[in-house]
Amino acid sequence: MDHEIIERYIGQPVRLPGDLRARIEREWGGKPVQLYALVDLDHALKLSESWLALGPEHVALARRTAGDEWDVVSVNRSRIHAVKDAPGLSANTLMLLSAPDDPPLMLLRYTQRQRGAFENIRFVLEEALAGRMVSGVSSNEADRMYAHAVARPVRDAQALVAGGGRESRVILRLLGYLKPYRRQLAFGLSAATVITLASLIPPYIAGYLLDRVVRPAQEGKLSRETAAGLAWIAVATMATLYLIRQAAAHVRLRFMAVLGEWVARDLRAELYEHIQRLSLSFFSRKKTGSLITRVTADTDRLWEFIAFGVVDVSLSLVMLVGLGAVLLTLDWRLGLIMTLPVPLFCWLIYWHGESLNGLFIRGWRKWSRVTDVLSDTIPGIRVVKAFNQEAREIDRFDERNEDVTEQFNQVHVAWTTFWPLLMLGVHATTVVVWAFAIPRLLGHGHPLSPGVFVSFLLYATMFVAPIEVIGQMARTVNRATSSAHRVFEVLDSEPEVRDVEHAVRLTPVRGSVSFENVTFAYDGVRQVLRGVSFDVAPGELIGLVGPSGGGKSTVVNLIARFYDAAGGVVRIDGEDIRRLETGHYREQLGMVLQDPYLFHGTVMDNIRYAMPTATLASVVAASKAANAHDFICRLAQGYDTMVGERGHTLSGGERQRISIARAILHDPRILILDEATSAVDTETEREIQEALERLIAGRTVFAIAHRLSTLRRASRLFVIEQGRLAEAGTHAELLEINGGIYRKLYNLQVQLQ
Amino acid sequence: MTTKDGEVQIPRCARDDREGARDDREGARDDREGARDDREGARDDREGARDDIRVRVGADGRLLVALDNRMIGVRVRQCFPWSEPHRHLSLRDDDEQEVAFVEDPAALEPESRRALEHALAVAGFVLEVTRVVDIDEEVEIRQWTVETVHGTRSFQTHLDDWPRVLPGGGLLIRDVAGDLYRLPDPHELDRKSRELLWAFVD
Repeated sequence: MDHEIIERYIGQPVRLPGDLRARIEREWGGKPVQLYALVDLDHALKLSESWLALGPEHVALARRTAGDEWDVVSVNRSRIHAVKDAPGLSANTLMLLSAPDDPPLMLLRYTQRQRGAFENIRFVLEEALAGRMVSGVSSNEADRMYAHAVARPVRDAQALVAGGGRESRVILRLLGYLKPYRRQLAFGLSAATVITLASLIPPYIAGYLLDRVVRPAQEGKLSRETAAGLAWIAVATMATLYLIRQAAAHVRLRFMAVLGEWVARDLRAELYEHIQRLSLSFFSRKKTGSLITRVTADTDRLWEFIAFGVVDVSLSLVMLVGLGAVLLTLDWRLGLIMTLPVPLFCWLIYWHGESLNGLFIRGWRKWSRVTDVLSDTIPGIRVVKAFNQEAREIDRFDERNEDVTEQFNQVHVAWTTFWPLLMLGVHATTVVVWAFAIPRLLGHGHPLSPGVFVSFLLYATMFVAPIEVIGQMARTVNRATSSAHRVFEVLDSEPEVRDVEHAVRLTPVRGSVSFENVTFAYDGVRQVLRGVSFDVAPGELIGLVGPSGGGKSTVVNLIARFYDAAGGVVRIDGEDIRRLETGHYREQLGMVLQDPYLFHGTVMDNIRYAMPTATLASVVAASKAANAHDFICRLAQGYDTMVGERGHTLSGGERQRISIARAILHDPRILILDEATSAVDTETEREIQEALERLIAGRTVFAIAHRLSTLRRASRLFVIEQGRLAEAGTHAELLEINGGIYRKLYNLQVQLQ
Repeated sequence: MTTKDGEVQIPRCARDDREGARDDREGARDDREGARDDREGARDDREGARDDIRVRVGADGRLLVALDNRMIGVRVRQCFPWSEPHRHLSLRDDDEQEVAFVEDPAALEPESRRALEHALAVAGFVLEVTRVVDIDEEVEIRQWTVETVHGTRSFQTHLDDWPRVLPGGGLLIRDVAGDLYRLPDPHELDRKSRELLWAFVD
């Protein structure tokens, strides 16, 4: 899909040209190109096509010459002593340097678009300069890495459906969801067909009555009794037709609305189930709001499309063709006058929709300026008041409010002008029909009976509704395909962490955890863990310390199997974690996070979240152990107090203790404490610390903490820095290391206290 | 830190204690070591350094700030890239620490000014749009095709990202990759460009 994105949107080569790659590899004595990037700015800052290629021993720069040839300059990597970059607003510079006073080996300029591909190369070069090898960089991956890096911003911004995003394909896939409801669909479509047919008959009967009953009766050619009989039959037929039509309308509305709701329900269920199965990496790419919109607003829009759009559009097409055929059959001369302008009317409606689009964009833009003020000032009201800026904010809002009103009034002016004019056009066609029909009705030219003419006029009035639907068809389909793209994108995303066949269940988990030369990179190249190895015995309390961004959270993310290691093995009780049944394993894993999350529900529901069947007595016992029982009992509704979204507001320390109670009740064999006490005051920390000490007894615990004093009881401390296990040992042992990282950190914290 | 027009000033840096840790991490890189030593030295006597500080382009192509006898590799950051792009320039080292601050390059000696202006041309580079060829809406993104003084380019913005009006006139668009596109006031563009941009500007 990345290649498709580059080709379709970005308009730059999807890969390093094959002939150039072959030439570079020839110049390197057969050594492969492992990574490459497009150098899209030349020294004069003009957009250009040059390529930077990285191999195991060389770096090459290929520039296109005036004669459309490639000028390739290769540099042995051993000559590179430093890699420097200078980021700019849109032009970045990468310099490969040799000795300090020598000219640069290469000076490359590129736009932000190429940044990902360049950073991959820079990372590998810098690691090599630091004496480290980067695993996972291979010639087979070069094309994929380049395409992935270049396409990523677009891929993250847009919902793209696997296998191409052609509208027809997406609509067909959406209609596939109707399959289980074929019977209901058949009913709905049949009813809609009946409505169309039933609508076409009354005008014909009206004409028949005039020509075959009323006029002959007035002229004395038909007895009054016979005429009355025929007229009543016609009236009864019409009444029956209207009854059938409305009954069919009822069936159609009911079946299609319900059917649409079922399809939306199926989509929501499939979507939600799939979201639950997706790996954390997916959630780091997509915004929460966007995912919620997909499950709610997008499926609702698809309901509307399936319930009404599909049938309305298809029947309007049938209706237009049917009406055209009937009018031409009744009287082809008048029929032509009526039908010829129809495509023009459809186009005018389409054109009107398109021209409104610009006005809507302006309106939307100005509307966002209004909401910007609201989202600025309402959360920031304390600042507004503190700096006495209320009057200025009111003026700002008024100005934007006025602006958006004016803009939307322009939209109203546009459509209120268009539709009466369009109807004037339709009526003008009817007037032209009258103008041509009257001489013929009066006996000049080709004869025209009043009945046929009345039928004709009645049919003509039926043209308006389908014209309107057809004119807006493009917009209806566009809206539906946009929503379908967003829904299908989620459904097409594959979870990166998956169970193998015949996955192993550890019953129970004893709690030994081993890392064997584990490497990991969130983006596939830049490693955040570089060959980490350790063995932790069951029941050990391991403190993970080190600077931010060093890799501590990644270690616990791998223990929880939120991600799989890129290299090396993580073992639980000696078993490769990738061979474990993830769900079963996580049942025996607990986490207490820095910002504990409480779901909407009672305090009891939250404590019992992982064990809904736990007894109330065990809930109370867990709460007591978590030092939470006292404050819960102080709440007016005790354990039945609603918390979470729109619920009772609890302090950070209270929420933390509830999450500890949740973990105690869950009784995990491996426990992860991620900065569990960092966001609370000293007194609360003491209470939480007490609770944690009860919680960690008899389990394997990994605790991340910045306040090193909280880790004094740890069996061992692991200092993780720059993705490596830099130091390991007890608090006392680490303090003994002269110039040690832990010792520095510890002394720094003691000084600050 | 006192300020006078044209002076290159050295800020007080209170992060010396972190230097040690950083030194350990970067020990393997000889060139960095050299630069760091220079920086350390520069910090030691920063109070005294003033008018004798010059800006140069080094043999290796890097921008250097000369402080007495020391050379420090720096990059230029414009403090006000749109309000005052050619003044208030922060010269920063590889660790993004400000080494010097130039309020007005015009007051520097000619060679320093030239070196700084050259570096500024790259650091402040944005794609200058001369014509809007097409704007198309797709699922969740808006696809732009434009002609720039640097060549033709297609880029994408989020549907709810709007061009920003710049203080000195003209518009600025940021694409999903982070590249910036500067457009002149729409009145200075051709008719088709103006029509395409109409929905996006007041």
